[in-house]
Amino acid sequence: MPKLRTVALVAGAALLTRRALRRRVQASPLWPLPALDPPLSGRPRSRALRLLLTAHEAVADGVVQLRLEGSGLPRWEPGAHLDLVLPSGLVRQYSLCGDPEDTSSYTVATRLVEDGRGGSREVHEQLAEGMELEVRGPRNRFPLVEAPAYVFVAGGIGITPVLPMLRALPDGTDWRLLYGGRSRASMPFLEEVSKLAGDRLTLVAEDEDGRPDLAALFTAVPEGTAVYCCGPEGLMAAVEAHLPEGATLHLERFTPRANAGGNHAFAVELRRSERTLTVPADSTVLAAVRRELPDTAYSCEQGFCGTCQQRVLEGEIEHRDELLTDAERHESMLICVSRARSDRLVLDM
Amino acid sequence: MSNTQARPVESERIPLKARKVSFSWEDTPLHWVPGDPFTTHTINVLHLLLPAGERWFVHVYKQVLPLIRDDQLREDVVGFIGQEAMHSQAHDEVLPHLREQGLDPTPYTAQVDWFFEKLLGDRTLPPGRASRWWLLERVALIAAIEHYTAFLGDWVLNAAELDRRGADPTMLDLLRWHGAEEVEHRSVAFDLFEHVDGSYRRRARTWATAFSTLVFLWQRGVRFFLENDPTLTGPKASLKDLYVRGREGTLPATGDMLKSIPRYLSRSYHPSQEGSTAQAVSYLASSPAALAAQKAVS
Repeated sequence: MPKLRTVALVAGAALLTRRALRRRVQASPLWPLPALDPPLSGRPRSRALRLLLTAHEAVADGVVQLRLEGSGLPRWEPGAHLDLVLPSGLVRQYSLCGDPEDTSSYTVATRLVEDGRGGSREVHEQLAEGMELEVRGPRNRFPLVEAPAYVFVAGGIGITPVLPMLRALPDGTDWRLLYGGRSRASMPFLEEVSKLAGDRLTLVAEDEDGRPDLAALFTAVPEGTAVYCCGPEGLMAAVEAHLPEGATLHLERFTPRANAGGNHAFAVELRRSERTLTVPADSTVLAAVRRELPDTAYSCEQGFCGTCQQRVLEGEIEHRDELLTDAERHESMLICVSRARSDRLVLDM
Repeated sequence: MSNTQARPVESERIPLKARKVSFSWEDTPLHWVPGDPFTTHTINVLHLLLPAGERWFVHVYKQVLPLIRDDQLREDVVGFIGQEAMHSQAHDEVLPHLREQGLDPTPYTAQVDWFFEKLLGDRTLPPGRASRWWLLERVALIAAIEHYTAFLGDWVLNAAELDRRGADPTMLDLLRWHGAEEVEHRSVAFDLFEHVDGSYRRRARTWATAFSTLVFLWQRGVRFFLENDPTLTGPKASLKDLYVRGREGTLPATGDMLKSIPRYLSRSYHPSQEGSTAQAVSYLASSPAALAAQKAVS
């Protein structure tokens, strides 16, 4: 019976191995697999949140402040903004102006732009307390850097990203603020700003004081001063023109510079395939790429599954997905929905 | 009369699309099958394996797309990829919730990450013919794994005992949404394998690898959870527990699991012979998460 002997031998060997393994595993339960460093699964993601609109109130002429409540909200740094998905589907960015440590609510303020693209009108006229809104972020394109001194220039609603910065600066920091607006009544947070700034504030209401004197503002600023400006295009251009030597400029625009409304066409270079193509205003990068490379992977075409993620080598991306983390956004995009802010993108394809 | 060819059931075929779901886990208790940590953690192992595993499916399938010479199959694979990517994300979001409840899954998931990213990654074999062989081998592995995901999907859609025990509705919705999509797309991985290779030896070989690996990872995951659960002291996982729960209906029956083995190895096997697309589609039409996803799109 050689067969029986083999079976007995195998069974015996299996039993012995099992005993030996059991000891080893008891000593260290996760033996013998190595771990990936850093791990990928279970990382916290910034995802779309649905928040309850609990306050919708006028805080100045033509300015409403929104308070959105939730729980366990991500913290943010001064200068950060939130993407607000309006009921019509429009997505608008608003600077956070509440307390960064508050994890139960976000506060933003918005001005009604009469001849705007419709976002602010919707916020003012269609939103009401008790509604649920989808938000994404927060993200920070306008971070407060360390500097020996600061000059802040805020025009009207442009005070919103600046306000949390003023609150966050440690006592004794050398800073000054020019806060301009059409009239005192149209300038939000005036009272808090005056209290925070004291004699460091230059208040310019155009109906009383005329145009701000930027040359005076920039007299005797120390080397390395950080200048932060948020306001209308004209004000930002003026600040750029008056910027003293040795100072660094940080701008936060209300709208992307290149295209104030809708999509624009741009060029995409596929570096590895050595091809360049044009993405028309009414089409997507994915559609254009698939005409050249039909086997390009994609699936949902709505920016949530992540299949079409591609590495971006050059160019400024306008992210329209809601999946990628901030780190991923630096060097990659979902080509099914996201576009270019610049006139040209270079993809690693 | 031929039993050496796969026989698909055409009526089970359906166009596939990814659904953008989201779940909120705040109200889900640690033991979401009340009073039954063994069942809870046996099913929880899915959250350990699937984020990395389904990410790996997507990674492999992206590389197979250029090999597909059939437009309808390519469309199916595109839909499959999106669904798998969403499954991976949805299970991944349970992990922070486990951590908040004092059960940190990272020691285990970091290993699963290594397993799929490195061991089953692209650089395991040198480029050229070996690398092509390795790609086909992985496609076959996925087909074998999908046999089991479809089996589990069909089981969870019919696991009425979990409802009777008062299992957490959000978790059940995650499992059933996922299970229903697995049933919905159960033929894609097998069709793709048949299309690009289809060798019976490879099917049998990769089944053996996939099955033993799943058993290895699963029992390890259950033991990991039971040992690290802060509310438990000392219960050990055993095969008897599995058998008993299988009889009660809170886990798949042992007999059913064993019977599914020869079916995959049969030469006339085709996934469309098992499970019901109609049932899957009907669950998806009533799943709270899938409904919310549909509302968000339209």
